Amino acid sequence: MRNLHRLLGQSKKPYFRSVQQPSRAATTSPLSNDQQTNVETLRKIYSNSVDVVFRSFLIGGKTQATLIYIEGLSDTEEINTNLLRPLMEEFEEGLSLRQLFEKKVNISKIDALSTYEDCVEALSVGKPVLFHEGDSSGYALGLNRWDKRAIEEPEAEAGIRGPREGFTETISVSTAQLRRIIKSPALKIEPVKIGSYTQTQVLISYVEGIVDKNILEEVRTRLSRIEIDGVLESSYVEEMIEDNPFSPFPQVKTTERPDTACNAILEGRVAILTEGTPFVLIVPTTLFSLLQSQEDYYQRFLISTLIRWLRYTFVTLSMLLPSLYVAILTFHLEMVPTSLLITMSASRESVPFPALVEALLMEVTFEVLREAGVRLPKQVGAAVSIVGALVIGQAAVQAGIVSAPMVIVVAITGIASFMVPRYNIGIAFRILRFPVMFLAGALGLLGIMLGLIAILIHLCNLRSFGIPYLSPIAPFRSADLKDVAMRAPWWMMNTRPHQTEEEFNQYRQAPAQKPGPDRNK
Amino acid sequence: MKHKALIVGRIAALLGILQMLCGCWDRTEINDMALVTAAAIDKDERDGIELSLQVFMPRALGSNSGGSQGGGGQKLTLVRSSRGQNIADAVSKIQTKLPRKVFWGHCKVFVLGEEFARKGVREEMDFLARHPQPRERAYMFVSKGKAIETLNLLPPLERYSADMMRKLSELKIGLKVTMKDFIIMLGGDSKAAALPMLDILPPEEGEQPSQGVPYIAGTAVFKEDKLIGDITLQTTRGVLWLTKKMEKATITVRPKDAKSGFITINPNHHVIHQTPRIVNGKWQVLLSIQTSGDLVQNGTNWDPMNLDLLHAMEAAVQDSIKDKIELALDEVQKTMKADILGFAEDFHRSYPRQWGRVKNRWDEVYPTIQVKTDIHVNIRRPGLSTVPVAIPEDEVKKK
Repeated sequence: MRNLHRLLGQSKKPYFRSVQQPSRAATTSPLSNDQQTNVETLRKIYSNSVDVVFRSFLIGGKTQATLIYIEGLSDTEEINTNLLRPLMEEFEEGLSLRQLFEKKVNISKIDALSTYEDCVEALSVGKPVLFHEGDSSGYALGLNRWDKRAIEEPEAEAGIRGPREGFTETISVSTAQLRRIIKSPALKIEPVKIGSYTQTQVLISYVEGIVDKNILEEVRTRLSRIEIDGVLESSYVEEMIEDNPFSPFPQVKTTERPDTACNAILEGRVAILTEGTPFVLIVPTTLFSLLQSQEDYYQRFLISTLIRWLRYTFVTLSMLLPSLYVAILTFHLEMVPTSLLITMSASRESVPFPALVEALLMEVTFEVLREAGVRLPKQVGAAVSIVGALVIGQAAVQAGIVSAPMVIVVAITGIASFMVPRYNIGIAFRILRFPVMFLAGALGLLGIMLGLIAILIHLCNLRSFGIPYLSPIAPFRSADLKDVAMRAPWWMMNTRPHQTEEEFNQYRQAPAQKPGPDRNK
Repeated sequence: MKHKALIVGRIAALLGILQMLCGCWDRTEINDMALVTAAAIDKDERDGIELSLQVFMPRALGSNSGGSQGGGGQKLTLVRSSRGQNIADAVSKIQTKLPRKVFWGHCKVFVLGEEFARKGVREEMDFLARHPQPRERAYMFVSKGKAIETLNLLPPLERYSADMMRKLSELKIGLKVTMKDFIIMLGGDSKAAALPMLDILPPEEGEQPSQGVPYIAGTAVFKEDKLIGDITLQTTRGVLWLTKKMEKATITVRPKDAKSGFITINPNHHVIHQTPRIVNGKWQVLLSIQTSGDLVQNGTNWDPMNLDLLHAMEAAVQDSIKDKIELALDEVQKTMKADILGFAEDFHRSYPRQWGRVKNRWDEVYPTIQVKTDIHVNIRRPGLSTVPVAIPEDEVKKK
């Protein structure tokens, strides 16, 4: 709203000044008493905009009125049948407009507007605004409706078991989805507007009584700090509220599944919904919560525990495997079993590159293929994957450019990095693979250890909204290991994960609920 | 924030500079390494030694075939040898004949030539123990004749002869001695050591001379650091019992009262105690062996289900073990007077003061030590068949 007074010609300040100013007191320009002036001012504000419709008509054949709406954002059919038709009909004298609305207009939501800012805001979300002679206020009519995508299964977070629905770009649908899962009125959804031009609606969602008040306050503060001209995706918000913006590790969890979001909210976290994107931000987050998949809770706990361990192993592998290969093959030949080394040395015999170059070549090729596979149109995708498989696999080995063991290493690394349910944390480990690889090529296992120590120090330093990134491992909380070292069955998950040192709503369920045939005796 | 960016930048610069340090580029690609799989040390005509290295040829395995065709007499290794004053000298000369850097890290077999061993091995063991690359867990052998011959063999079952020798040692038919064991034995109180003795099974008619197969023919006995002789595989069994190293054995005996046939048992669980004692000034070693095993073949008509007969069988096996031990003692203790049985360490531990008095004349004391044996054999499992098979039931001796 800050740029409005510029459009109104009331301020001579250049835009960037207003961005730099910390004060955000909105300038309000009250509507004038004259209907004609109001409409003219709005015409001026919306000059050169063909999609803004100004429709003049007479209420009851007498009172001059103007309806303003933006095409495509408002339901024109509704406007015709439920607004224009009843109002344009002749009716008995002596009715004020308020009475007229009460008697004639069957629209559920009508708000009176007193400033131009309010008018613009109402118009921008698709609410038609009505002015009429003899009234200093405008009326916003709840007839906003625009085309939206249907609820679909989230493609980036597919699962075998669990709800199939994902968030959509429409924020009202998203909030409804949350509300459908958590029906208690304790679920709060607070609005924030971010983006001076996009005016994007951002919602802070939490459960009162579970959420840590300090964290909630921190979320509010950090969101209100943002001054940006547009928010096109929640990543804009994410990057503006992170604790350590230079870290390769994401400090915010993103999800497009309502069940994941609700799970986080019920753990006392805060979900940040952004208009125009299905991706919801969840704060605070930890490394281990990023390595969890929602489906871990839906499958039986034994297999989920096993899969979690497998995931931890392969995440480490996805970061270290090429480096280990390079380090051992260039510095520590004696560590490889003789028969394996003999096979490897035979396959490396015709390779012209040092192991480090070979590994870099293959890893970069793999990253290129992966990126190309994501960006390419679906019709071409299959062709790329076939060519890619041939290029980095068979052909490269046969041409003697890379060795067969290296292809296996790259393949395992590639698969391992997709074991992670969250794309953003997988990518963090993939980035780190390259510096560690250089260290391995320069210093061998010593280099890998140096790299790992540096990463560990960084991880220990990292915080997400004040919560240590490695919790509950560091600082150690044995009670929270039930959802990190394993996936405890639900009848054992009696306590919520600890967030801050403050007192918190610890128990999520009654104790001793282990089921069994003897339970009721 | 600016400060943090600076730190990140500094670390990145540091990593970049790190790459330029010459010390960081001491890596050696596997393509530039000559993997030594076995080394043989022989005496040359003059005063020095002749060192032979068996080096793996990666090209021979072929990069495209994926190693599926290895073995089968195909030559995967080459042997290079050179003369020198000592190993270090000889290695430097071999290096001139090899385009790749000699890498000892995978050398798991060291073969000492018989003549070289007779001359004394201490000087050359020093190189192997001092150099960081050779493995302390590499297996040591003495070969009858020249050691280089064992390297030139192309055993049909394994990829190269070093692999075959290593596996022979790991089977524990004879002694299994690693470089570390050997060095400790040589430096120990006994001043004696034993290594497995390799011989070459000559190739069959019509085969290449290199088709011969190395096998363990016995045990080479060292006194001080010199080879003084060797004992047969049979005697080695006795040494294994005496040194508590016996693991798998196959003992075939004819029970005294049996009319005909042999029984064979495989003892597979042993509890062996070797207790040194000094009784009335007489030095004794009490060897108690409790062993149990399976009856694997019964050629007699005895029914092992009868306890008396079973005990008779066990007694026969006990006698057989005792015979082997006595045979070993006779050769090693009485004839060679080499303490490869490790009695010196045992007495040193149990009777440090008395040992200190005889330390300097241990050579005289050692042959006089009495070894008393106390052997118990238990035949625990008769196998799938209880009675002797393939003879009429009335001929089976049940009592």
